[in-house]
Amino acid sequence: MAEEEAEEQQRFSYQQRLRAAVHYTVAALCQEVASDKGMPFSKQSVAAVSEVTFRQCENFAKDLEMFARHARRSTINTEDVKLLARRSNSLLKYITEKSEEIAQFNTEQKAKKKKKLEEGNKTLEAAEVVESES
Amino acid sequence: MEGSGTGFRKELVSKLLHLHFKNDKTKVSGDVLQLTAELLRIFTMEAPVHRVWQAQAEDAVQVGVEQLEKVLPQLLLDF
Repeated sequence: MAEEEAEEQQRFSYQQRLRAAVHYTVAALCQEVASDKGMPFSKQSVAAVSEVTFRQCENFAKDLEMFARHARRSTINTEDVKLLARRSNSLLKYITEKSEEIAQFNTEQKAKKKKKLEEGNKTLEAAEVVESES
Repeated sequence: MEGSGTGFRKELVSKLLHLHFKNDKTKVSGDVLQLTAELLRIFTMEAPVHRVWQAQAEDAVQVGVEQLEKVLPQLLLDF
């Protein structure tokens, strides 16, 4: 019984920590908007937005999991996220563009890494050749 | 890559998602984390921007909870 309680306590404190992290990010974003528009936000309203975001995360997570399961996958991919943004046309367009951008960025990054690795191997080989010659 | 610099960190998004998954075997790819972070950023940015409009329409000096109450239904219907 006590063990169960302790577990529950731990779970709660973990959630509170995540909540704090969300609050931090939301406050930074609100600050950005506030300074952009020249209108301050009250503290309670920032807290309210962060709470809404935290709860919305639950919806997102459950939806994503369901979408993946419906497609008989255990890994969530970008198609599922696109489906999540289906309700608003402009949002869907933006998310699709962003997804392509991210995919392109990642393939470029991978290509760069590969190239670097190859170059590293070449210099290593060259060094070995020099060493064996001397 | 990221427009303004501030946004949700990948690690946080990953932990938030895994907190709510029912099946522990569910996996998430890196691209998805980035995209979900962007989606969350839009979601959070949308609320303040709408509220500023609402506050301006009401000639309010500060944006408070009342404006959030007014724009929240619209916001939740869009996501």
